[in-house]
Amino acid sequence: MKRFLVKRITYSVLSLFLLSAIIFFFVRVTGDPAVLLVEPGASQADIDAIREQLGLNRSLGVQYVTFMSDLLRGDFGKSFYYRSPVLDLYLSRLPNSFLLAGVAMLFSLVVGIPSGILAAVRLNGWWDRVGKIFALLGQSLPSFWVGLLLILFFSVHLGWLPSSGSGTIWHVLMPAVALGWVFAAYNMRLTRSSMLEVLGSEYVKLARLKGLPEALVIAKHAFKNALIPVLTLAGINLVIMVNVAIVVETVFAWPGVGRLAYEGIAFRDFPVVQATVVLGGAMIVVVNLLVDILYAVIDPRIRYER
Amino acid sequence: MRGPRLFATVAVALLLAAAPVAAAPEGQLTWAVHVSLAPTWFDPAETPGVITPFMLIYALHDALVKPMPGNGMAPSLAESWTASRDGLAYQFALRKGVTFHNGDPVTAEDVKFSFERYKGAGSATLKARVAGVDVLDAGRVRFRLKQPWPDFMTFYGTPATGAAWIVPKKYVEKVGDDGFKKAPVGAGPYRFVSFKPGVELVLEAHEAYWRKTPGVKRLVFKAVPDESTRLAMLKRGEADIAYSIRGALAGELRKTPGLTLKPSLPTFTEWVTFADQWDPKSPWHDRRVRLAANLAIDRQAINDADYLGFGKVSANIVPRDFAFYWPAPAYPHDPAKARTLLAEAGYPKGFDAGDISSDNVYVPEAIANYLQAVGIRVKLRPLERAAFYAADQEKRLRGLVRQGSAAAGNAATRIEAFVLSTGIRAYGGYPDIDGLFREQATEVDPKRREATLHRIQQLMHERVMFMPVVEPAFLNGVGPRVADSGIGAITGHPYSSPYEDLSLKAR
Repeated sequence: MKRFLVKRITYSVLSLFLLSAIIFFFVRVTGDPAVLLVEPGASQADIDAIREQLGLNRSLGVQYVTFMSDLLRGDFGKSFYYRSPVLDLYLSRLPNSFLLAGVAMLFSLVVGIPSGILAAVRLNGWWDRVGKIFALLGQSLPSFWVGLLLILFFSVHLGWLPSSGSGTIWHVLMPAVALGWVFAAYNMRLTRSSMLEVLGSEYVKLARLKGLPEALVIAKHAFKNALIPVLTLAGINLVIMVNVAIVVETVFAWPGVGRLAYEGIAFRDFPVVQATVVLGGAMIVVVNLLVDILYAVIDPRIRYER
Repeated sequence: MRGPRLFATVAVALLLAAAPVAAAPEGQLTWAVHVSLAPTWFDPAETPGVITPFMLIYALHDALVKPMPGNGMAPSLAESWTASRDGLAYQFALRKGVTFHNGDPVTAEDVKFSFERYKGAGSATLKARVAGVDVLDAGRVRFRLKQPWPDFMTFYGTPATGAAWIVPKKYVEKVGDDGFKKAPVGAGPYRFVSFKPGVELVLEAHEAYWRKTPGVKRLVFKAVPDESTRLAMLKRGEADIAYSIRGALAGELRKTPGLTLKPSLPTFTEWVTFADQWDPKSPWHDRRVRLAANLAIDRQAINDADYLGFGKVSANIVPRDFAFYWPAPAYPHDPAKARTLLAEAGYPKGFDAGDISSDNVYVPEAIANYLQAVGIRVKLRPLERAAFYAADQEKRLRGLVRQGSAAAGNAATRIEAFVLSTGIRAYGGYPDIDGLFREQATEVDPKRREATLHRIQQLMHERVMFMPVVEPAFLNGVGPRVADSGIGAITGHPYSSPYEDLSLKAR
C-alpha cells in the first residue's frame, strides 16, 4: 500500500508540474498583454513602461524560474489587471463557485437519477424515449444558450428571477440550471445504463423469483447498487463544475472562478490564467488521487495490479 | 427694544428660507458596466491611456483642469491658469476651500506630489519635458518646461494622461500605493464605499463637493460582461444604465417602451491603412487605386448597420472633436467612378488585393464586400486582438489593415502615432509631412500651428493615405427612473459624467 501511495502521489505531483509548465509557456504564446492595456497609438515608451511594471521585460527563463519558485511558496503573483494577489482573488471567488456547483449538482442529481430510473424500468417505453430526447438535448444545447433562454423567459418575460449577479438564493437558480443541465443528462444516461445492468443481474432475478413486489426490487435491491457509479462520478463532477463554469458565470455575471478565468484570458492576465488553471488542475488531481486511494483501500486487487 | 429684535429675527428667518439650499442627495443609480472594474482605476497615477478608467476617476477624483460639458479644458480644482509668454511656464491658482473626502484641504503640495508620482500613459513624455514643479504657496503651483511645448495642456489637462488628477499626499504616504487602491480618497463628487474586484463598486455622494452637491446618494457599478444580460437587467429595472448595447440588441432596446437608447461619441475613429502604398510594385502604390477603394465603400450604410446611424461617417483619421482637426471633404459612395479609376490605373478587371487584417470583423467584413463589388478582391483576415496589435506594431501586416484609435489628444498626437514615418503604428511616411510636423511641434502661436496641422491633414487627404470609415457611436441604454444620465454630456467622453449632475426622476 505504501508503495502504491508513493507512486500515485509522485504521478500527481508530476502532472501538476507539467500542467504549470505548459500553462506558463502557452499563455505567453498568446500575445503581449502590454499592448492590450494601452490605447492603439500609445507611445513605445508607455508600452515599455507597462512591460517593466509587469516584469515582462525579463527573459522567459528568468520569468519561469521566478514563477516556479513563487509557486512552490504558494505565491501565484499579482494580477496584471487587478494589481492584487491572485490567490486572494481566487479564494474570494471560490465559495461562489462551490455554491453554484453545489446547487447545479443537486439539480443534475434530482433530475438525472429519477429520469434514468424511469427510463430503465420502462425500457423502450414512453419514459425511455423522453429520457433519450432529454439526454440528447442536455448534451447538445450549449450552456450559454440555455442561460440566455432562461433569462429571457424567467427574468424578462415572467419577471420571477433576477437576471444576473449574486447575493440571494434566487440569484443562483438559473445559473445552476444552465450549468447542471448537461450534467443532468449525463447522470440520466449513467443511471439508466447502471440500472439496466443491475436489473439484469442474478440477485435481482432471485429477488423477483422470491416474489418480492417490483417496487421493492427496484427501490431496495436495484437502485442502491445502481447508484454507486453515479455518486462516485458526482464527486468528480462537482470539481469539474467549479472549473468549467466559465461561460455560465459570464452570462449570469456570477462572481466565481470561471468568470475570473474568463477575465484573465480576455486581458492576457497571465498570473490569473496560470492560477486558475493550476489550482483547477490541482483540485481534479487531488480528487482523482483520493478516489484511487479509496478504491485501493476497498479493493486490494487494485493496489497489487498497479 | 422688543419690536426691532422681533423684526430682526423674522428677517433672518426669511432670508434663510429664501437662500438656495442644496438638496440632499437621494436614491441610488445602478450601472451594468461592460468591462471588469479594476482597482488601478481608483488611482489616477496609473491611468493607462485608455478612456475606460475615467468612468470611475470622474466620480472619485478631481483634476486641476478637465473636460466638462461645453468646455474641453474646464477649470476645476484650479480656478485659473496662465502660460508665460515664452511658453516655458504654466501657473495654476487653486480653488480655495476644497477638501478631499477625508477632510484634508487640497493644496499645491498635493498637485506637485500627484504629478511626480504619476506613472501612467504619457508619463515619459510629460516628465521628459517638465523641468520642475514649484510650490509658490499653498494655493499656487508652477510647472516649468525645459523648452516651449504647445501640447503641454493637451497632455496635462485632458484624459491623454491622468497627471492633473489630484490625490491627497498625506493619505497616500500614510497608506502606500496598494493601500490607496484598497481605500481610495479623492476630491471628486463621490467617495469610495466598497469594492468587490470584478464584481461591484459602491460609491456615496461627497456632499461637500465644491461644484455642487451631487443629486444621487449612491452609485453602484456592476460588471456584467454579456450584453444580452445587461439589456435584460435594464428591462427588469435591475440596472438604470447599461453600457455598450450594440447592433440588433440596440435596435430592440430602442423599441422597448420606457427605455431610452443613449448614444455617445467617444473621440474614436476607425479606418483602413494602405500598408503597401510605399511599395512601387503594389497596386496600392497608385493613388487612383486608393481613391477607388475610398469611393467603393458606403460609409453611411456601415454606420446605419453597426451604430444605428448614430456614428459619424468620416473622411479623416483625426476625430472631429480634436483640436486642430481639419474637415476633409467627404468621399461619396460611387462604385462606377471607382471602377473607372481602377481601369485608368490598369486594372479594368480588378485585382487580387490580398488581405484586410483586423482584430474584429464587423466593419472590415462590410468593407471587404464593397471592395469585392468593384473588383478589388480582398480576403478578410481576422486576428486575435493581442496577435493583431503585435503584428500591427511590428508592421508585419500587408495589404489592407483595419486600424482605429480612441487615444485622447489632438490632431498632432494622432498624426504622430499613425502618419509620420517614425509613427508607432505607421507603415511608412512622407518626408514633407515629417518636416511640417517638426515645424509645428515647437510653434507656440496657435494660429500658425493650426495652419501647419491643417496642411498636414490636407496632404494626407490629397495622397489618399487612408480609408477613413466612421467615428463609431457608443450605444447605451437608460432606464425609466433616470432623469439625467450624463451620457454624452462631455464631448468625447463616452460614459456618464459629470456625476454630480446626474439625477433621478421625482417619484
